[in-house]
Amino acid sequence: MDPVPGKSGISRKSFVNWLLGTSLGATLAAALYPVFRFVIPPEVAEAPVNRVLAAKLSELPLNAGKVFRFGSKPGIVVRTATGEVRAFSAVCTHLNCTVQYRPDFQHVWCACHNGHYDLQGKNLSGPPPRPLEVYKVDIAGDDVYVTKGA
Amino acid sequence: MRLLDTLWKALDERLELAPLVEFATHKEVPQHRHSWAYYFGGLTLFFFAVQVATGILLLLYYRPTAEAAFESVQFIVTRVPFGWLVRSVHSWSANLMILAAFVHMFSVYLLGSYAKPRELTWWSGFLLLGLAMGFGFSGYLLPWNELSFFATRIGTDMTSKVPLAGPWLLTFLRGGEEVTGATLTRFFGFHVAVLPMLSAGLLGLHLGLIQRQGMHVPGHLAEEARTRKPLRFLPNFVLREGVVWLFGLAVLAALAAFFPWELGNKADPFASAPAGIKPEWYFLFMFEALKLIPATVLGIEGELIGLGAFAVGGLVWFLVPVLDRASAHGRRSRLFLALGWGVLAYLVSFTVLSFLGAFQ
Amino acid sequence: MTPRRPGPACHPGNRGPRSTNDPRAAVVRLGTLAIVAVALGAAVAAAGPLAASVVGPPGKSAADRCTACHRELDEARLQAPALAVGNDTHHAQGVTCAGCHGGDPTSDEPEVAMDPKKGFLGKLEPTQVPAMCGSCHSDASFMLRYAPNIPTDQLAQYRTSKHGQALAKGDVKVAVCSSCHGAHGVLPPSDARSPVYPSRIVETCGACHGDATLMARYGIKGDELAEYKKSVHYAALTQKNDLSAPTCNDCHGSHGATPPGISSVSNVCGTCHLTQRERFDESPHKEAFAAIEQPACEACHSNHAVLSPSDAWIGVGQGQVCGSCHAAGDAGAAAAESVAAALARMHERLVAAEARVKKAERAGMLMEEAQVKLEEAHQGVVLAQVEIHSVDPARVETQAKEVLAAAGVADGLAAAAEGEIRFRRTGLFVSLAVIALAMVALILKIRRMERA
Repeated sequence: MDPVPGKSGISRKSFVNWLLGTSLGATLAAALYPVFRFVIPPEVAEAPVNRVLAAKLSELPLNAGKVFRFGSKPGIVVRTATGEVRAFSAVCTHLNCTVQYRPDFQHVWCACHNGHYDLQGKNLSGPPPRPLEVYKVDIAGDDVYVTKGA
Repeated sequence: MRLLDTLWKALDERLELAPLVEFATHKEVPQHRHSWAYYFGGLTLFFFAVQVATGILLLLYYRPTAEAAFESVQFIVTRVPFGWLVRSVHSWSANLMILAAFVHMFSVYLLGSYAKPRELTWWSGFLLLGLAMGFGFSGYLLPWNELSFFATRIGTDMTSKVPLAGPWLLTFLRGGEEVTGATLTRFFGFHVAVLPMLSAGLLGLHLGLIQRQGMHVPGHLAEEARTRKPLRFLPNFVLREGVVWLFGLAVLAALAAFFPWELGNKADPFASAPAGIKPEWYFLFMFEALKLIPATVLGIEGELIGLGAFAVGGLVWFLVPVLDRASAHGRRSRLFLALGWGVLAYLVSFTVLSFLGAFQ
Repeated sequence: MTPRRPGPACHPGNRGPRSTNDPRAAVVRLGTLAIVAVALGAAVAAAGPLAASVVGPPGKSAADRCTACHRELDEARLQAPALAVGNDTHHAQGVTCAGCHGGDPTSDEPEVAMDPKKGFLGKLEPTQVPAMCGSCHSDASFMLRYAPNIPTDQLAQYRTSKHGQALAKGDVKVAVCSSCHGAHGVLPPSDARSPVYPSRIVETCGACHGDATLMARYGIKGDELAEYKKSVHYAALTQKNDLSAPTCNDCHGSHGATPPGISSVSNVCGTCHLTQRERFDESPHKEAFAAIEQPACEACHSNHAVLSPSDAWIGVGQGQVCGSCHAAGDAGAAAAESVAAALARMHERLVAAEARVKKAERAGMLMEEAQVKLEEAHQGVVLAQVEIHSVDPARVETQAKEVLAAAGVADGLAAAAEGEIRFRRTGLFVSLAVIALAMVALILKIRRMERA
């Protein structure tokens, strides 16, 4: 098909070779780039399990509570007036509001409809129909770990 | 370039590689109007390679326990850079591999390529397809989501219908009475150790046989193949195969990016089965046919008859190089050709009808 | 825990009259005398004191001859009670048939066992029942031995109830103890099979109150049961199995059943819905409602058919609750309008943000942060709905602002996720182009090679 063999033929050949090399190289790069990115783990280096570092003991005074995150759901860790550390789901069993610790009542309280829970997570009064889910608490040095479903 | 040459010389000196290259360059691929069929085995191999690569990558983050499996896959697709792509490619490539393998198998069957002396190639290919489906079945459970959990429950339950060995098989597959975390651990073992090992051996055999015996030319195309200039395996055929592979890669990338494989909800063994539980598409022909069989036929459990029929059908398919006696003499048997088209029509129609919801 | 007095009474084998210095025996005797006096008048003399053979020591199942004999009877009416007492909590605690029916439970001879001279009463008249049950249940020291945790004011309460008052006037159609608790086979209310178990109370009250013809005699509509079944409370009770959800007795009282008066409605609702009541009490509605003798909560929420409240109720238009007092143009209508507008705005933004987040999530994006914000927004909506009871548009508006802010953040995160999806698609197009180019180059190469 080439009307003038020779110079143009050679340049076309080298063009084809260049194109082939470049495009195959680019394809390889396109395939390898995600791989190189994939093998480096993200900031949160572990797949979330049922355990989370909820609070520092030193940041949790007596008769106080702290809301932490369990994935996208809130949990609450409570340090009672006597120094015990307990943790519950912070999702109110009535309409899913986030509960809080009320130092004046010395128990857990939901602001939405004035629901009260005791320090075992049991619903005391107000509309909540069920107790809060109780989580397991492990204290390692200053770290308060909370485990779900244990 | 000089470095490569030196390296090549050093290797050749020690391993005598030149005859292999010699063999590859002299190997020829016949040309005729159905020589397109020769590319599908290679395409299947390409997808298999993708599976190995992406599978190894997924292993870096995956955790095979009931508590963490779903979360780890979720972690891969949401947090790991390009994790969504790797997982999606792994899922899509698995399906494309099985599809390519089916095309490969039917083209081989319909062109009569299973005939003597290529029985071993047919048999190793048949077993490889079985392994591929085993990969699919075991891999489906690994994300530990609702759909996979219940599909596995139904799928493994079928084995309990096998006479005599049924209960043993069920316990073997499930690692207990029920589908639990124990099942997940064992399916993971099958998926990443047992099946790959068997596949590697069989694949080596399959490829070795093809290289040894060369491509088969169907009798009715022999004349055409004689008149047309055959392709040299290296580089002509290999480069063409390269184009096919690039096309496969493009399809894979497009599917993975436009239709990311969904993760669904985490499996809850105590929840009731969600509506519309279906196995992977390549099991649909079996799944739907079993549903059509009445509960009991002549006092025997319908499902047992169905499974028996599939077992017999599979055996006939497997033994076709022996059963089709004419093929050994280069003749085409009309009966076996009709059987091939019939099976193809059944598979395609049932799979398509199932997708269209005809069996609801 | 109250220390129990050692029980001097009910020594096995002691069938004679108890010593009069035992105060409990005296009370029981007095109680028994009282019932019989109310019931039979002249037959009082026949009634003897409760003997050990009639009421055994706690925790020991009653042994009597009555059930042995009645079980064998052919007449179902006479046989049924004997079969039913197997589950009966009283029987299990040692109360024999004679504990209520009188007679001698130790005798095999029908003439002796059911001798009116031995206090046999036969089938109790409705008018006899409350006092009969009360003879033990109102006796705090007696009940302490059997069931220390149950109250002893049932009879006193019953007498104040509509049922009790009507019975006192001789109306025997009204509910007595056995109408609700059953007569034979009485189970504790905590037993799910008991007709007074929370989830079964509706049907138990409904046996009479669902009968419009019967209720017409008392000027009661009789549709209360059907209305209640439409309510959120009934749904919570039966669908969520929330046993704390109010059923008939939670508002009307159990033994002292009576309709709550106009002034007490908000007290009744407020026992659970504290915050709403608090807001209502702070609102100008409190005094206004009292002035026109309008019940508080009921005015908007109805009494039995307490429906799931809707923001669409707010306004003076057709089917909207404010319209029953306010008319378009007055200050109340204006306030309602601005509250409704704030709620609508909130919902609109929240629904849009939710849809957008959901869509990104389906596309495989991590939307945890956005979900947290959406939760926050939902909580804000709930709080805004509480503020409605203050009828102060400014307070609702304050809440609405927080909801809008949270929904806005969620929406922004979803937008960022959409951007990421677009970026992935762009990346894909680039790599597809690269692959296509490689294919073209390879084909060109093959053609060149084969032409040569």
